[in-house]
Amino acid sequence: MTIGWYLAVSALIFAIGAGGVLVRRNPLVVLLCLELMLNAANLALIGFARMWGNGDGQVFALIVMVVAACEVTVGLGLIVAMHRRRLPIDVDEMRELQG
Amino acid sequence: MSATTAAWLVLAAPLAGTIAIGALFNRLPGRSAGWIGTGSIAVSFVFALITLYKLQQQAPAHRELTSTLWTIAGTVGVDARATILVDPLSVLMICVVAGVSMLIHLYSISYLQGDRGYSRFFAYLNFFVFSMLLLVLAGNFLLLIVGWAFVGAASYMLISFWYRRTTATSAGMKAFVINVLGDIGLVLGTFFIFRHTHTFDLLASFHAAPHVFASGSGDVTAGCLLLLVGAFAKSAQIPLHTWLPDAMEGPTPVSALIHAATMVTAGVYLIARMHPLFQLAPAAGDVGAIIGALTLLIAGTIGLAATDLKRVIAYSTMSQIGYMIMGVSIGAYTAGLFHLMTHAFFKALLFMAAGSLISAMGGSQSLDRMSGWRRALPFTFAAFVIGGLALTGVPPFSGFFSKDSILLFAAGRGGWHWALYVAGYLGAFLTGLYTFRMIFRAFLGDPCPEALELIDHGHLFHPPAPTNPANGEIEDTDVGFPGPDHVIAERALPMRVAMSVLALLATVGGIVAIPNTTRWLDHFLAPTFADSTLLSHPSNGLLYFGLALGTVVSLVSIATAYFVWVARPALAPAIAARARPLTTLFENKWYFDELIDAVVVRPGAWFGRFAQNTFERVIVNGVLIGGTTGLVRAGSALVRGTQSGMLRLYAGMMLVGIAGVGLYFLLQS
Amino acid sequence: MLSLLIWLPAATALVGAIAGGRRTPGVLALLGSLGALGMAIALIAGFNGHGDQLTHVIDVVWIRSLGVHYKIGLDGLNLFLVALTTFVFSLSLLAANRRDWERPETFYLLLGVAQSAVLGAFLAQDLALFIGFFDLMLIPFYLLTGIYGGAGRVVATTKLVIYTMVGSLLMLAGAVALAVLASQHSGQPLNFTYSALRAARLGGPTQDWIFLLFAAAFLVKMPAFPLHGWMPDGYRAMPVEVLAIFSGVLSKVGAYGFLAIVLPIMPQASVHFQTLMLLIGLASILYGSAMAFTQTNARLIVGYSSVAQLGFITMGIFALAPQGAQGAVLQMVNHGIVVAPLFMIVALLSARAGGSEDIRDMGGIAMRAPVLATVFLIVAFAALAMPGSGNFVGEVLILLGLFKTKMVFSIVAFTGVLMASVYMLRVFIRTMHNRAGPEVASRELSWRDALVLVPFLGVIALFAIYPQLELSRAQSSVTSSISAAASSAAPARAVADR
Repeated sequence: MTIGWYLAVSALIFAIGAGGVLVRRNPLVVLLCLELMLNAANLALIGFARMWGNGDGQVFALIVMVVAACEVTVGLGLIVAMHRRRLPIDVDEMRELQG
Repeated sequence: MSATTAAWLVLAAPLAGTIAIGALFNRLPGRSAGWIGTGSIAVSFVFALITLYKLQQQAPAHRELTSTLWTIAGTVGVDARATILVDPLSVLMICVVAGVSMLIHLYSISYLQGDRGYSRFFAYLNFFVFSMLLLVLAGNFLLLIVGWAFVGAASYMLISFWYRRTTATSAGMKAFVINVLGDIGLVLGTFFIFRHTHTFDLLASFHAAPHVFASGSGDVTAGCLLLLVGAFAKSAQIPLHTWLPDAMEGPTPVSALIHAATMVTAGVYLIARMHPLFQLAPAAGDVGAIIGALTLLIAGTIGLAATDLKRVIAYSTMSQIGYMIMGVSIGAYTAGLFHLMTHAFFKALLFMAAGSLISAMGGSQSLDRMSGWRRALPFTFAAFVIGGLALTGVPPFSGFFSKDSILLFAAGRGGWHWALYVAGYLGAFLTGLYTFRMIFRAFLGDPCPEALELIDHGHLFHPPAPTNPANGEIEDTDVGFPGPDHVIAERALPMRVAMSVLALLATVGGIVAIPNTTRWLDHFLAPTFADSTLLSHPSNGLLYFGLALGTVVSLVSIATAYFVWVARPALAPAIAARARPLTTLFENKWYFDELIDAVVVRPGAWFGRFAQNTFERVIVNGVLIGGTTGLVRAGSALVRGTQSGMLRLYAGMMLVGIAGVGLYFLLQS
Repeated sequence: MLSLLIWLPAATALVGAIAGGRRTPGVLALLGSLGALGMAIALIAGFNGHGDQLTHVIDVVWIRSLGVHYKIGLDGLNLFLVALTTFVFSLSLLAANRRDWERPETFYLLLGVAQSAVLGAFLAQDLALFIGFFDLMLIPFYLLTGIYGGAGRVVATTKLVIYTMVGSLLMLAGAVALAVLASQHSGQPLNFTYSALRAARLGGPTQDWIFLLFAAAFLVKMPAFPLHGWMPDGYRAMPVEVLAIFSGVLSKVGAYGFLAIVLPIMPQASVHFQTLMLLIGLASILYGSAMAFTQTNARLIVGYSSVAQLGFITMGIFALAPQGAQGAVLQMVNHGIVVAPLFMIVALLSARAGGSEDIRDMGGIAMRAPVLATVFLIVAFAALAMPGSGNFVGEVLILLGLFKTKMVFSIVAFTGVLMASVYMLRVFIRTMHNRAGPEVASRELSWRDALVLVPFLGVIALFAIYPQLELSRAQSSVTSSISAAASSAAPARAVADR
C-alpha cells in the first residue's frame, strides 16, 4: 500500500477546503471548509500511522477532532450572535478591526 | 582721599540717588524727591571738585590715574575691567556735567511740580547723570560703551517720560534705535582697534597704537570711522541727526540737560579722548571735520525756518556741536572742549528760559502764537537775551571766545581748512539770525492774549482742556501726561537761582581761555593732549583779525534780525515767497526724515511682511512642515493598507506565508 | 552626588503623584527642584575651573554588550547649564503652584520627569545615555501641551512630535553609526562614551554625514531657521509656565549638544560645514528678528526673538574661536534667565488686557503698574543686549570671535543687534505706553508675581555686573572642546591673518 495515494487525496481535500475558506463569504461555509481542512489533516495522520505501524498518528487525529469540535462550537456561537444582532452574515462586512 | 577714590564717589552719589528715589517712589511727599535728587548731584559735584583738586596736586607728568575695582570679563584674551581713568579731560567733563546737572535738577524741582510722575522723573534724571559720568570716567573701551548705552537708555526713558503721548513714545523709540546704531558703530570700531592692540584698556591701547598701526592703515581708519558713526549718532550730526528735534517731546529740563549740555556732547568727548587713534587716521579726522561743518550750516538753515520754540534751540544745539566736532576732528582739542563747556552754560540757560516761556503760554510751543512777552516775563527775557548773546558770540560773553578759538585753530592749520574757517563764520551769521529771530518774535511787539492775561490779571493762561502741543490731542493730567501746574521763573525761586548762576557763567565763563591772555584751560588740559601731533600756529595778526571778524559778524547778524523781523515785518514773508524752493527745503528739514524712511524703514517693514506672509506661510509651513507631515502620513497610510480588517485577506496571507516558509525549508534540504 | 542631583526632582514628583491631593504634588515637586538648585549652587561654589577634566564622575557599565555606560560628569561647560535648569524649573514651578491644575499629580510628575531628563542630558558623558535623556525630556512636554495647553493644542502637539521625533531618529542613527565606526576604526570594543568616541578620530567623509544627522536634531531643537516651523503653534499652545521652561532650558540642550558632542568628536566636519552653519545662524537672526518686529502676538514676538538669539549662539559656536565659544556658553545662560521672565510678563500683561495676547489690544498698562513697567523694561533691555547687561558681554564675545575668523559674518550679524532693539522696544511701548487698549485694566504686580520675577532680576543683575563668574569657570572646558575644530581651521586662518 503506497502512502502516496492517501496523501494525494488528503492534499486534494485540503486544497478544496483552503479554496473554500478563501473564496466563500458565508461564515457557516467557511467553518465547513475549515472542517474539511482539518479532516484532510486527519486522513494524512492516519495514513502515516498505518505506514509506521504504531498508534501515534491515530491518537493525534483524535486530539485534532476534539480541537475541531471546540472551535466549531465557538464559531457557531459567534454566527448565532451575529444573527441575533441582525448583522449581515458575511465575512467581508465584519471589518471593524481595520487599521 | 586720593583722586581716584573721589572719582568713584562721584559715580556713587547719583547711583545712590536713583536707587533711593526709585525704592521710595510712592512714599516721597511733595517735592522731596526733587531735593533728594538735587542733593545727590550736589554731593557728586563736590566730589568732582575734590577730584580736581587732588589731581592738580600731582605733578603734570603724573596726571593720568587709573583705578580698577573688579574684572567684568577677563577670559580668552579679552580684558574688560571696571576701570576708571582720571585725567584732566575726564575731570573737566565731570565738573561740567555734575555742575550743570545740579543746576538743572534745581530748576526741575519747581518746573515739574504737580506732575504725577515727579519721583520717577528724578530717579531717571539721576540715573542719566550717573551714566554720563560713567561714560566720561571710563578707562576701558567696554565700560565706555556701557556708559554710552546707559545714556541712550536714560535718554529714551526721559524723552518718552509723558508716555501716554504717542508723539513722545515714537520720538523715544526713534532716538533709541539711532542710538543703538551708534553703539554698533562703537563696538565694531573697537573690534578693529582690538584686533591689533589686543587690549580693551584705553591707556594701554593708546600707548600701543603708534607701534601697531601704520599711519593711515586700513584697520585704524576703519576703526576711527566707525567710532565716528557712534559719535555722530550720539551728537546728532548729519545724517544721524533726525532724532534730536523729535526729542524735544521730553520735558524741557530733559532737553536742557541731555540734549544740550551733556549727552549730545559725548561724541565730542569721544573724539577728544580717542585722539591718539584719530591722529593715526587722518582720513577719519577729515570726515569728522567735514560732517561737522556741514551740520553747522544745514542745522542753521533749518533753524531759520522752524516755528517751534524748542526746535529752534534744538537745531542751534546741532549746529554748535558741529563746531565742536569740527574742532576736535582737526586737533583743536582745548578749543572744542572750551566751546563744549560754554555751550553747556548758555544752552541750558536758553532751554530753561524757554521752559518758563512755554509755561506762561499754557504749554504751547509755537513761535507763531508768541509775541510781546517782554513786559510780562522780564527775568525770562533777560535770560533769553544773555543766552542769545553768548550763543551768537558777542564779546565779552563766553561763546565769543570759544567759537573763535576753534575757527582760529582751523585757520592756523592752513590748506583746505580755510574752507572750515569760512563755513564757521557763515554759521555764526546764521546763528545770530535764527537766535534773535526767535527772541524778537517772542518778546517784542504787541503782547499776545496769553501775555495780556498775565499783565492785566496777574495769573497764568490755562487752556480749557490740556492738549498735546504737537498734534492738538486732548489729554488729561494723570500719570503719563504733564501735570496741571505751569511754573514760570518769575514766580519760582529755585528756577531763578539756577538760571542766574548759568547766566553769570555764560557771561564771564570765557575768562578761562582768552587767547593770548589767560591760558588756564590750555594748561589744565595739557597733560592729556601733550602727545597731539595736529598742531596749529596762527599768527597774532590772524588772531586779532578773527576776533574783530567775529564781533562784526555777530553784531551784523543781530542787526539784520532786528531789521527783518522787527523794523520791516513784511520783509520776512516776502523773502520767503521769493526763495520758495529754498524755504520749502528748510521747512522740511532738508527731507532727511523722508530719506531715512525710504531707505531704511520701508525696506525693513517690507522684509518683515515678506517673511511673515510669503516665507513663513508658503515655504516653512507649506513645504517643510507640510512636506514632512505629508511624508510621514503617506508612509503610514501604506503600512495601514495591510490592516484591512478583511478576514479572508488575513487567511490568504497566512497560507501564502506558511507555504512560502515550508517551500523554503523543503528546497534547502 | 550628581546622580542625586539628576533624580531628585523626578523622585519627589513621583512621591507627590502617589500621595495625591490638590496642593501636595506641587509643593513636593517644588521642594525637589529647590533641592537640586541648592546642590547646583554648591557645585558652582566648589568648582575649580583650572583644569578641563570632568569632576564628580560616576562611570558604571550599563549594557556591556552594546558598550553603553551610565557615565555622568561635571565640567565647565555644563556647570552653569545645570544651574540654569534647576533655577528656571524652580521658579516656573513656583509660578505653577499659584494656579490650580486639573489632575495636579500628573502635571507635576511630568515636570519632575522633564527636569530630571534635562539634567541628565546635560550631565551625560555617554552618547546613548544622552540620547535616552534627550528623547525622554520631550515626552512630558508633548503630554503637557496636549493635555494642559490652550486652543490649537492638538495640532501643535502633532507638529511638535513629528518634527522633533524625525530629528531624534536621525540623531539615533548617527550615534549608532558613530559608535560602530569608531570601534571599527580604533579596534576597541563598542563604547558610547564621549571620551572613547573623541579618541577614535574618524575620517573626514564619515564625519560629514554623521555631522549632518546630529545637526538636524539639534537645529530642530533650538529652533533654528528653517527648521523652526513647529515653534509658532507650539509656543502658542503651551501653558505659560511650561513655555518658560521649554524656551529657557530645552533649547539650550541643542546648543550644548553641538559644543559637547559634535565639535570635539567631529572636528573636521565642523570645519567643513562651518560656512553652512554660520549661514543658518545668520538666517535665524535676520529671519527671527524680521518676524518678531511684524508679529502682533506677544508670545510669538518673544518666540521669534528666541530664534534670533539662538542664531547668535549658533554663530558663536561655529566661529570656531575661543571668544566665540565662551560667548555662546554665556549667552545660553543669559538667554535662559531673560526669556523665562519675559514669557511670564507676557502672561501678566495678557491678564491685564482681558485675556488677549495681541499687542493691538494692549497699551497704557504702565499707568497703574509702575513696578511692572520697570521690571519689564529691565528685562527688555537685557533681552536686547543693552551694554551693561550680561547679554551684551556674551554678544560681544560672540561677535569678537566671529570678527577674528569670519569678519563679514560678524558685520552682518550686527544688524541683528539693531533689529533686536527695534522689536523689544516696540513690544514694550505697544503694551505699556500710549493710550490704553479697549479691555485694559491696569493693576500692579502682586506679591506673588514679584516673588517669581525678583529672583530672575537678581540673577540678571548678577550676570550684568559679574559675568566673569561664569566665564572663568567655563574657560578651560570650552577652549578644550573647540580646540580640535579650531586647530583644524587654523591653518587657513593663519594665512588670512597675515
